[in-house]
Amino acid sequence: MRFTKAIWILFIILITAAGWVTADNFIFKPKPVKFIVPKGWPQPLYDFSKNPLTEEGIALGKKLFYDGRLSKDGTISCGSCHQQFGAFNTFDHPLSHGFNNSLTVRNAPGLFNLAWQKDFMWDGGINHLDLQPLAPITNESEMAENIETVISKLRTDKEYKIMFKAAFGDEMINYLRMGKALSQFMLQLVSSNSKYDKVMRGEASFILPEQLGYDIFKKKCISCHTEPMFTDYSYRNTGLPVDPFLKDMGRMKITGNPADSLKFKVPSLRNVAVSFPYGHDGRFFSMMSVMEHYRKSMVIGPTTDSLMRNRLPLSNFEIGQLTAFLMTLTDSSFLKDKRFAEPGFENNGKAPADLHQ
Amino acid sequence: MRKLAAIIFLSLVWVGGFCFSNSDISLPASKKITLVFHNSIGKEELVLGNRTQNILGENMTVQKFKYYISNFSIIDLTGKSVVLPVQYFLVDEADTASKIITLTIPDISFTKIEFLLGVDSMRNVSGIQTGALDPGKGMFWTWNSGYIMAKLEGESPLANAAGNRFTYHIGGFRFGVNTVRKISLAVTAIQNNEIHINADLNQWFKSKNELRIAETNTCHTPGPLAIKFADNYANMFSIR
Repeated sequence: MRFTKAIWILFIILITAAGWVTADNFIFKPKPVKFIVPKGWPQPLYDFSKNPLTEEGIALGKKLFYDGRLSKDGTISCGSCHQQFGAFNTFDHPLSHGFNNSLTVRNAPGLFNLAWQKDFMWDGGINHLDLQPLAPITNESEMAENIETVISKLRTDKEYKIMFKAAFGDEMINYLRMGKALSQFMLQLVSSNSKYDKVMRGEASFILPEQLGYDIFKKKCISCHTEPMFTDYSYRNTGLPVDPFLKDMGRMKITGNPADSLKFKVPSLRNVAVSFPYGHDGRFFSMMSVMEHYRKSMVIGPTTDSLMRNRLPLSNFEIGQLTAFLMTLTDSSFLKDKRFAEPGFENNGKAPADLHQ
Repeated sequence: MRKLAAIIFLSLVWVGGFCFSNSDISLPASKKITLVFHNSIGKEELVLGNRTQNILGENMTVQKFKYYISNFSIIDLTGKSVVLPVQYFLVDEADTASKIITLTIPDISFTKIEFLLGVDSMRNVSGIQTGALDPGKGMFWTWNSGYIMAKLEGESPLANAAGNRFTYHIGGFRFGVNTVRKISLAVTAIQNNEIHINADLNQWFKSKNELRIAETNTCHTPGPLAIKFADNYANMFSIR
């Protein structure tokens, strides 16, 4: 009788153990990451409650960002045209290189502080960060891939299955999750540690030309390049005549409103010294050529911004001081942050040798 | 031993109690209705790839016809509107299953069914969606965020475009260029809880506006032309 009892106990233990072994022991518990708003900055516009940041989500987003398989020929990743040392623009390229020797039609903007941005692209055509990657992925002169195909490529990859499961709880791979993971990575790209920021925090002080430049900046530039983002994210015509080859009408392409003809988003001036060339089509070689444009070559048309109808008078002295100030907006810790670097290139982040001033 | 049996019995009762409390006894009575969509050109059934003629006498072959349906409500006998949980469906002529939509509605008599042709603006600004709204369905503009509410494509000898194609991708959700249209249909008789809804393609070409393939072969951006099409397709539905 005692013997039977012992057998029963053993049997129960065995069953329990077997159950434990065969059960799926995956516990979905991604590690939350807090989004830190730099001191004195406004609250971000991105709705983090719909896409909570996690270490796993960010890691997946980074892998996707640097994966050439998102393009048709397997060689062009997001990171190909958004290079860290150029503040995630295409360094030293007016237009970027796309699929099959094509060129893009606009200058790749730097990627940073995206949580504060409402609309994306030079014309503001995209209304949500999660949706933004679909545009370059599908554009014929960029990654030229079909979104369905991208998803099926990702589904065949074992590593992605593991990473999607770690980030979202199961192995399902779809656009929604791809877009959210990419957003999680891109939202990490916060640039808030330039010399300017340190001065504002009381940790450093401007040298004289920088201070003079800042004073001129506050008089002549700040109504569009508003602090602390150095853009008000509005769309304005600053007198760039239409390029006869690109025929880019800017914001009007989205709104269909002739009043928006030749208007483009005001770009942030953070990291401006490393993000040349300038302008929506990269037509300005250097900061100097932008200022020359503002004071001399602006073409005044019916939609030219009301603040610029008399062009922007700038003396040589002012240009010099402004340049000194604009250099203080370079955030070298951001440009070298290993968390954002392409895997395998973590130690290559260095100041570019050739700056166009 | 008896004690054990009692415990097992009691726990079964307890679990059973849970099962009951989870059933829909407390919910108001509901029923299922099925909407069956039929696409036609006038009185003739639409067959993709068949040569036919539109109401303006233009020869054409329709290759694609898809539209979004969403935000259903029913109007009861007193004229009160009962809004159903928000759902989105893509009716695609090429996919028979997509033409049959089942809705769960309160078990009441109703005189009208209302829905949106298209995707409401809220959903157009809420990031990536899944299911019927998945951007992979080919009904989403990636360069100018927003859904294509309805799509009609085909060939016509009168279309002065590559491949003699006519391509109507109708979208736009912002104020002034909104192509979402509210559809309201009086429901008289329902048999077997089925409502048959007809969509007449002819209305695209001649309704509020007259739009000839010979003059207009392409629309793929929000704006005045898309509005003209939207004002036309607003009239395409009827109860069969």
